Amino acid sequence: MENYTKYKLKSNDELVSLLADKDNLFIVACNKCFKEFETIDEPECAELEKIVAAEGKKVTGSARVDFLCNKTQTEKKLQDMIPEGTEHVLVISCGLGIQTIADLADKPVYAASNSLNYTGHHGMALTKKSCDACAQCYLNVTGGICPIVDCSKSLVNGQCGGAKNGKCEVDPNKDCAWEKIYKRLEKQGRLSEFLDQPVQLRDYSKVDFKFVNDYVKSIRENRLEGYYGGVHPSERKEFTEHIALQKFPDPETVVIPLSMHAGAPANPVVQVGDTVQVGQVIGESAGFISAPVHSSVSGTVTAIEEHGHATRGRCMSVVIKSDGKNTLHESIKPNKDLDSLTPDEIIEIVRASGIVGMGGAGFPTSVKLKPNKPIDAVLLNGCECEPLLTADHRVLLEFADDVVFGLKAIVKTVDAKKGIIVIEDNKPDAIELLKAKTADCENLEVVVAKTKFPQGAEKMLIKRVMGRQVPRGGLPADVGAVVSNISTTKAISDAIQKGMPLIERIVTVTGEKLKKPGNYIVKIGTNTKDLIDYCGGITGDDVTIKAGGPMMGFVLSDTNVPIMKGSNGIIVVDTDHTVEQPCIKCGRCMDVCPMELSPLYFAKFADEKDWQGMKDKNVMDCIECRCCEYICSSKIPLVTKIKAGKTAVREMK
Amino acid sequence: MLITQLKAKETIVSLVEGKKIFIINCQGCKEVHFPEEEAKELQKELAADGKVTGSITTDYICNPENMKLRLEKHMSEIKAADMVLVFSCGVGVQTIAEYLDDKMVCAACDSCRLPGFQGVTPIEYDCGQCGECYLNLTGGICPITACSKSLLNGQCGGAKNGKCEVDPNMECGWERIYRRLEKVGRLDALKCPVQVRNYATDDEV
Repeated sequence: MENYTKYKLKSNDELVSLLADKDNLFIVACNKCFKEFETIDEPECAELEKIVAAEGKKVTGSARVDFLCNKTQTEKKLQDMIPEGTEHVLVISCGLGIQTIADLADKPVYAASNSLNYTGHHGMALTKKSCDACAQCYLNVTGGICPIVDCSKSLVNGQCGGAKNGKCEVDPNKDCAWEKIYKRLEKQGRLSEFLDQPVQLRDYSKVDFKFVNDYVKSIRENRLEGYYGGVHPSERKEFTEHIALQKFPDPETVVIPLSMHAGAPANPVVQVGDTVQVGQVIGESAGFISAPVHSSVSGTVTAIEEHGHATRGRCMSVVIKSDGKNTLHESIKPNKDLDSLTPDEIIEIVRASGIVGMGGAGFPTSVKLKPNKPIDAVLLNGCECEPLLTADHRVLLEFADDVVFGLKAIVKTVDAKKGIIVIEDNKPDAIELLKAKTADCENLEVVVAKTKFPQGAEKMLIKRVMGRQVPRGGLPADVGAVVSNISTTKAISDAIQKGMPLIERIVTVTGEKLKKPGNYIVKIGTNTKDLIDYCGGITGDDVTIKAGGPMMGFVLSDTNVPIMKGSNGIIVVDTDHTVEQPCIKCGRCMDVCPMELSPLYFAKFADEKDWQGMKDKNVMDCIECRCCEYICSSKIPLVTKIKAGKTAVREMK
Repeated sequence: MLITQLKAKETIVSLVEGKKIFIINCQGCKEVHFPEEEAKELQKELAADGKVTGSITTDYICNPENMKLRLEKHMSEIKAADMVLVFSCGVGVQTIAEYLDDKMVCAACDSCRLPGFQGVTPIEYDCGQCGECYLNLTGGICPITACSKSLLNGQCGGAKNGKCEVDPNMECGWERIYRRLEKVGRLDALKCPVQVRNYATDDEV
């Protein structure tokens, strides 16, 4: 592949005269943009150092920085980079990088390179120049061939007459654009349409710089709003956001996995043939990071066997045939009121009720409720930033009192100063309701956050609401925060107020390929296929089914898997037909990564099996939000590669 | 990666008059700019008139391979249409027009130049890629893009209160350059010989 480096070193003579009165130089080179990875050794950088050395000048140091023009990241990298004693900074990059450094460094900055003219190469970057951004697109009258770019004279009213044998008189290697346009229009039978067209005038004042500049400013602010990066995928929540919760009909049989949480799978405490009741423990917690599992129906245990599992492939599960009576187990009874419960009692109720993070990660909630640091705030994540999903939204609307009760319980347990419910601005009804419900609670508040994915990720949420950065490898408690999911908080309320363990949850079943989308109250262990069939089944045969949302959900190749504690959604969407292509180093993945990583390296290192490289680029910090994959113009399955890298890095230890 | 604006509604309405259309939305550069809501609104109206044979929302149609894969499923809807209306930058429209070269392919958007498109998404600096970087003489502020007249040898004299006479919202680029040079103690750079811009280096690579 061609080398798309967009700048070249200035001539030797020019550099020599530039260096004449300067010494103690620091060299910064932009390491990215359309550069191929093969040129990572920076031939220009070495070449410049050679020239500097030949002039007998001292180089105080040099650095290569990816995407110098990414001001936010460059500013951080530049801190402490330029050593003491440096007098001048030389930059090898396109004009953007040089201007960025000139603005950030407090030393005189010089360009050691010239930008090459690539004006007009947009979009995929490697396409040929095809759009000059004239702001008055002529393609509609020219059959989709651009007269501004393809005609050397940028004529907009037909050929100049100078072409010979179909070749341009300015450049004989070039086809005459107007002949191409004529042929295309002739083929489509549109010649008269063009010939009858009034004369076109090019209006050079059409490019509205003020609009463009203001827009650029606003888009930058938007990108950095609350936290770095993030994306705005189409929400498509209109399928289900206004559909009230319905109880999903009781299943005849439930398959309850013993692992629906992070940590050790539960140990089964029932045997085949046992009679069980609703809320009865069927699996005991098997360690500190583990959680018990309860029966969601009353009936008979028919098997304890390996069964398909949405995220783990297969998992030991308890199969229970329901007797249809839903007899409650004797242990299900309301607890004392919140004021009389001690924090330790609340933690024990939460633990014994098998409550785990219901946003998908499944971390045991009782562990979260025992932070070893003082807590300033409990954040309830009501963002539901995943497109399509509306489960938490419905819980907020229909169980607002329970959510507020649960929040009060958490605030009391961790002795927090306040509880904050964070809701994205695309759910105005929930914002209004929760504001009313918390109006008389001094230590509770509702914060409205501008919609951006992945706002609900705990690190982003803390950054946005509290302006604090969770340290690398650290936990929310390290910065005085506890983050809880909406459904989890409701489950805590149910456990305290009703004594009911976690045996059912709200699931959004939706997607453009599902006949009747809706939000359902579903018993844990219900078969996913039954849920889809109940919603009218799927339309078309070319669909993708995922457990979870379109961004972070897991693809289900088999729908014969049970609904679990973390199953917030089942989505049926169009399959995306694309093929992975080589990385063009456009840098968009880096621009959207909320953890401020450089995902493009993960693609390269995974293909080379360079796990050390992955580790050095902090692959373990990745939260797998899929923003990079979403934005990738080469359709590289980055998250798959990142997961492989994480597994390999874990094994290295 | 360009900024796209919808063409005037009358233009689009007269363009599609009496025709069945297939609509393609490209949202690959949505994080940069795509008039998503406006386009949705307009398309709803077009669909209400019963003229739309089908529509897809996809990304990076400027990448021909993936564009073809995504259009495959919709070829019958495209065949049934008299025109394919593309909501994307000019690169996308041309890629589709070349692929469907026996079909009338039209643009529903105009594209504007985007500063700093070489690197990541829009940034505050602009580079005119003149091929002979002047930043060394100007304290790292580009006279080609920061001066509305792209003057290379100092201010035109028309600025008032530090604002450009061409665009009063714009700071005079040469005043900024002067202040920057003063700050870094390099006002001597202004004594360099007269600069002549060589447009011949403006060649495509």
